[in-house]
Amino acid sequence: MVSKKSPTGGADGPVLVIKNLTKQYGSFTALNDLTLSLNAGQILGLIGPNGAGKTTTIKILVGLSRPTSGTATIAGVDCVKESQKIKSLVGYMPDTFGSYDNMRVHEYLDFFGAAFGIAPRVRAKRIAEVMDITGTAYMKDRFVESLSHGMQQRIGLARTLIHDPKVLILDEPVNGLDPQARIEMRDLLIQLSQRGKTLLVTSHILPELARICTRVAIMTNGTLRAFGTVEEIGRQVSQKRTIESHLVLAEQVAPAAAIIRKAIESDGEVFEVAAEATVRFRTSRPEAELGTILDRLIQGGIKVTQFREVQTDLEDAFMSFAKPQATASAKPAIARGASHV
Amino acid sequence: MFKAVVLRELTSILRRRRMLVMQTGLVIVFALLVALRWPTDSRVALTGTRSLQVFQLFSYGLLATMLFLLPVFPSTSIVKEKKQGTLALLLNTRLGPFRIFFGKLASVLVLAGFILVLSLPAASACYAMGGLSLYGDLFRMYLLLFMVALEYSVLALLISSFSNSIDGAVRITYGTVLLLSILTLGPHYFFQGTEGLMSEAGELLRCLSPFSALMSLTGSGDAANQGLVTKVDLMGRFLVSSLGIAVVGSVWTITRLNHTIFDRDRSAGTISDDQTGSIRAFRRIFFLVDPQRRSSGISSLVNPMMVKEFRCRRFGRFSWLLRLVSICAMLSLGLTYAATAGTLDWGVETIGGIMVVMQVALLILITPSLSAGLISSERESRGWQLLRTTPLSVGTIVWGKLLSVILPLMLILCATLPGYIVMVYIEPGMALQVQRVVICLVATAVFAMLLSAAVGSLFVRTAAATAAAYGGLLTICALPLLIWMGRDAPFGHSTVEAFLKINPIAAALSVIRMPGFQNYTLIPANWWFMGIFSVLSLIVLVGQTYRISRPQ
Repeated sequence: MVSKKSPTGGADGPVLVIKNLTKQYGSFTALNDLTLSLNAGQILGLIGPNGAGKTTTIKILVGLSRPTSGTATIAGVDCVKESQKIKSLVGYMPDTFGSYDNMRVHEYLDFFGAAFGIAPRVRAKRIAEVMDITGTAYMKDRFVESLSHGMQQRIGLARTLIHDPKVLILDEPVNGLDPQARIEMRDLLIQLSQRGKTLLVTSHILPELARICTRVAIMTNGTLRAFGTVEEIGRQVSQKRTIESHLVLAEQVAPAAAIIRKAIESDGEVFEVAAEATVRFRTSRPEAELGTILDRLIQGGIKVTQFREVQTDLEDAFMSFAKPQATASAKPAIARGASHV
Repeated sequence: MFKAVVLRELTSILRRRRMLVMQTGLVIVFALLVALRWPTDSRVALTGTRSLQVFQLFSYGLLATMLFLLPVFPSTSIVKEKKQGTLALLLNTRLGPFRIFFGKLASVLVLAGFILVLSLPAASACYAMGGLSLYGDLFRMYLLLFMVALEYSVLALLISSFSNSIDGAVRITYGTVLLLSILTLGPHYFFQGTEGLMSEAGELLRCLSPFSALMSLTGSGDAANQGLVTKVDLMGRFLVSSLGIAVVGSVWTITRLNHTIFDRDRSAGTISDDQTGSIRAFRRIFFLVDPQRRSSGISSLVNPMMVKEFRCRRFGRFSWLLRLVSICAMLSLGLTYAATAGTLDWGVETIGGIMVVMQVALLILITPSLSAGLISSERESRGWQLLRTTPLSVGTIVWGKLLSVILPLMLILCATLPGYIVMVYIEPGMALQVQRVVICLVATAVFAMLLSAAVGSLFVRTAAATAAAYGGLLTICALPLLIWMGRDAPFGHSTVEAFLKINPIAAALSVIRMPGFQNYTLIPANWWFMGIFSVLSLIVLVGQTYRISRPQ
């Protein structure tokens, strides 16, 4: 049965622990000293450009690949030394469906249930349950190869859940899905997380990850560049915060910009957007000093309607790490990102 | 634009390393054939006997190459493009179906031309030895081979346009090749010399086979003649029939090359359990085992891999197996009944020979299609990756997959047993022969299964695995028969016997005392050969499966 756990999740200590994981193919380093951990019920979004080492990490976790050095454990079980045990703990959904011709959906799930050694009676109940969770019960008699991509993704998820694993590793689960199917899949993943499943998800569709992931890891060239919540990563990307001040009158933009320039550090940046009656500035001043800036604006007769911090989104963060020139400047973030969460 | 298609097709075929190996191999074989029979003494036979002997072997070898190697390329050509999505791109260009089809056909014919050109030095050597006519023998042989290439390439392209899977296209193409080239000789063998429709139909059917045309051309006698000589122009009839098939096939394929080729409605997944009682009852009576019934869960007592293999095959469902076995049983009993009732004056030995040939042909046709893709289909569909994440061990996977081949083969073998039992009942003296034949058949089935599975496991693409398995098996079955055709001259009795010892068909035919094979002692040497190679194949299969399932 799919066990129900605390909706908040994340309180049971680390389920997935990766320590100094390195994988080399000859002289090429596919994965370099990866360290991270994940608590029960959390959703980790693993992002990075092609060749970043995401799939290598996943393959080591599911026992399809051996690391050159380092360890990875899931619920205390070593992914390398106890690969047979790992198979019952992990549900893996690769980026391709792995379809079998002439097989109906319930036969497909029945086969994988039998492969995991689930007794026939229990298996029948389990199949009904995972079909219910994934909303696929209506297609149980359809042939798997005749299903649309979205339907196949759902069946793939049902197959992944069939043996009730603790950790789900999903490689590009929303890839190729239409907007509605993407929303449904997103809700489904959140629902699974609320049921206590720990999820590791890779995707190129970053806004999707930003919406569902409790933790995000950014990788490039086999190295972890950042790790944490979306907000934490945003701050790692930029040591300066972006603050936006919306004004009532467009003509007050220039005087407001002048006040702000005086208030922030000399290398701070101020942008005037007269058309939007907005002043945007980047500063490394702490939270308390931001209030002072707002006071000065009001004292200077500037009519302010909004004064807020603009969050750095995941795409900005990803692009800053993915850009080769950003690599060197981003390095300090690694040490912070690699800490336990 | 037409040239672009030809070049693209041709380079994709010729740049493969296997093609280079194949072409080099052909050149070596042709050179060896000529070198073996090249006169070394000062006296030369002016009758050209040696030259004719080499010419016969050489032409049969070339025909076998054309039949078994060439159709692989066109059979995968259209279906591969359809699967990869490039056919839609091609159809959206200004090329049009006519140019696309003839581009693909021309590239295969150019490849056939390469093979024929490679054989020219050997053909020239034959001509130089004397006894051969440039037009009457050499030109006509090359014309025949070209027409074989044309006919089978067109048919393979047509099959490819209908197929939805690459390996399925290869299987159906090989089945068609065997049907048109060998099985069309059967009716004439049985009904020649008799009066009536069957005799005439047999006479017409054999003209479809290139073997009968080549036999008449090389003077090897009349195909399946049983001592009777007919004055039919087999060569002319074959050329006309092959041209007709090529034209019809071309037109048909060209009409298929449009947007409708992609039209394939998704199955609604109809289930009999949800239909009315009368429909369910009708289906139960009609099918015995309704293929549309909702299947029950896999029992804990059976290997899930085996069940999965059965369910994945189009003909793996129980209803199809029942039909196959019923046909085999009816044919076997029918043949035996015909001999017993005396309506056909063939004798028990001849009936036994026919049964053996039919069974071995069926085994060799069916076994690679069942077992070649056991591992490669998993790797191609990416299902192997999923299997590796399940607790199934390599042993369970291999055994389950082999079981899914063993059971249908056993059913096929068992289906013909009643025929043998009747045969022994009529002629008790044949008991030992029948026992040995059954052992030969079982050994053939095991050998064909393991060899195909082992060869197939070395490939990632199912089509390549199927083609390689058929190629390997047909080499073992056809090459010794080519040597056998050159028995007494140029090959001596011991040479022919040595080659036949590796051939499962020859072993079974020698046991049943089929004319032409009764003078060779092939068992137990053949059983040893097949036993050892079966074990080696099993080791390769398990080793390769273990290798690809290890964490990398």
